[in-house]
Amino acid sequence: MIRSAKVTAPLLASVALSMATGCRKPEMQRCVDEKNRVVDDSFCANLPANNQQNQNLNGPGGIPFIPMYHYYYGGWGGYGLGTMVGGGSYTPSSGHSYATRSGVTTRGGFGRSMSAGHGGGE
Amino acid sequence: MRRTSISPRDDWQQKVASAGLLFHSQEGEEMDRPYWDESAFYELSAEEVDTLEAAGHTLQQMCLEAAQHVIDNKRYAELDIPAAAVPAIEWAWENEPPALYGRFDIAYDGSGPPKLLEYNADTPTSLLEAAVIQWAWLEEQFPNADQFNSIHERLIAKWQDIAPYLSKPVYFAGLDNPEDQLTLAYLRDTAQQAGLPTLPILISDLGWNPQREAFVDLEERQIFSIFKLYPWEMMVAEEFGPAALETYTAMRWIEPIWKMLLSNKGILAILWELFPGHELLLESCFEHSPGTLGSYVRKPLHSREGSNITVVKDGVTVASTGGPYNGPSIVQALAPVAPFADNLRPGASRYPVLGLWMVDQQCCGLGIRESSGLITDNLSSFVPHCFL
Repeated sequence: MIRSAKVTAPLLASVALSMATGCRKPEMQRCVDEKNRVVDDSFCANLPANNQQNQNLNGPGGIPFIPMYHYYYGGWGGYGLGTMVGGGSYTPSSGHSYATRSGVTTRGGFGRSMSAGHGGGE
Repeated sequence: MRRTSISPRDDWQQKVASAGLLFHSQEGEEMDRPYWDESAFYELSAEEVDTLEAAGHTLQQMCLEAAQHVIDNKRYAELDIPAAAVPAIEWAWENEPPALYGRFDIAYDGSGPPKLLEYNADTPTSLLEAAVIQWAWLEEQFPNADQFNSIHERLIAKWQDIAPYLSKPVYFAGLDNPEDQLTLAYLRDTAQQAGLPTLPILISDLGWNPQREAFVDLEERQIFSIFKLYPWEMMVAEEFGPAALETYTAMRWIEPIWKMLLSNKGILAILWELFPGHELLLESCFEHSPGTLGSYVRKPLHSREGSNITVVKDGVTVASTGGPYNGPSIVQALAPVAPFADNLRPGASRYPVLGLWMVDQQCCGLGIRESSGLITDNLSSFVPHCFL
């Protein structure tokens, strides 16, 4: 008949955490090199899922080096090229929003029509 | 169809919370009972369930015909749909990108044919309650009874069907509030059980990169497939709306944009034009049309969750709600509902609205919400059901 099989919903435990998050100001999202120095965002474009980009280049004297670029989320420092960052993470935190150095990517373009407390579903 | 009082299960709050329904007991002066209310249940006969199931299938076909009619006759303006959205709607209608689910809201008391109140075809919620929570209730309270509910299996099967047409991962986007996040988490779960990798993102965190002409996640990865629990009529009106329309054919948005034809209250007037007198419909017309209805409900085309609704009986306004939706409206004949006795307040009545769940064109489940008045809103309770 129209019976349902046993339902498992392993993701639901994570809902409580996501519910606890609220609106925050955007934090910095900077593209950095392996020494955590800010570089242009173009180095981090189209990052693979592990948030890292490897380039095999030959350095002076033929010694290979592997610059590694990745996004750096939150923390101290600024957007200035070549400046150091710290106190943040290589992975974004759920529920946080971030702003890139270049400002190429804009966020917040969806979701403003609903007033606080109202949902997008019905 | 009967509404019967029953003792709630011991520690039911913990049970429903452990299954994911954390907001089972909303607070507020207007709430005289929990949102998840298992102090009563609805009992239907197998014949009544058959009637509802058949009604869902018939209404689905009628709605698809109505959508085709709107497209063929370019009646977008009557539905307050911006011209900029039309190419994407027509492309989606012709090319049939993946669609997942919807919910008909029905007036029904078992004594006459079900009557369509509206079709939440784009962003329906109360899904976990219907698919999971009330099933667990049934297994404990009435293990030998049945329930109109194969929503969970249908969702997983539908994700499996559409998986080849989706890039992975599939993103799940919505607002940061409990009801929407619960629905998103549950739908993510069904997608993952179907073998699809998924990622969550807040709708406000979606990034638009004009240089790449791409929507991106927080790590600047391009998004190709996304389930959004956010209505199309708002999306097209917001800042990223033009970008979503311009890149529509390169992405897979679930639900597809043509669903905004059916989630629009204007489709009720179109349906009545196409199928006048149909037993599953209530007479409806656009507000500007000359009408003869003495008892009716006025609904803005884009109203949600019972906002900006006016109920008129014999020419007298008997109920109304406020809200932000002030656009064009329809009027719909008042459903011939017979309220059920309230088990908690002697002498009071409860008005159920039956949600018929559609997955993959199949009517596959029932969820009942009820309220103390004629308008069902986001403070109404969810009451489980069974049939014998």
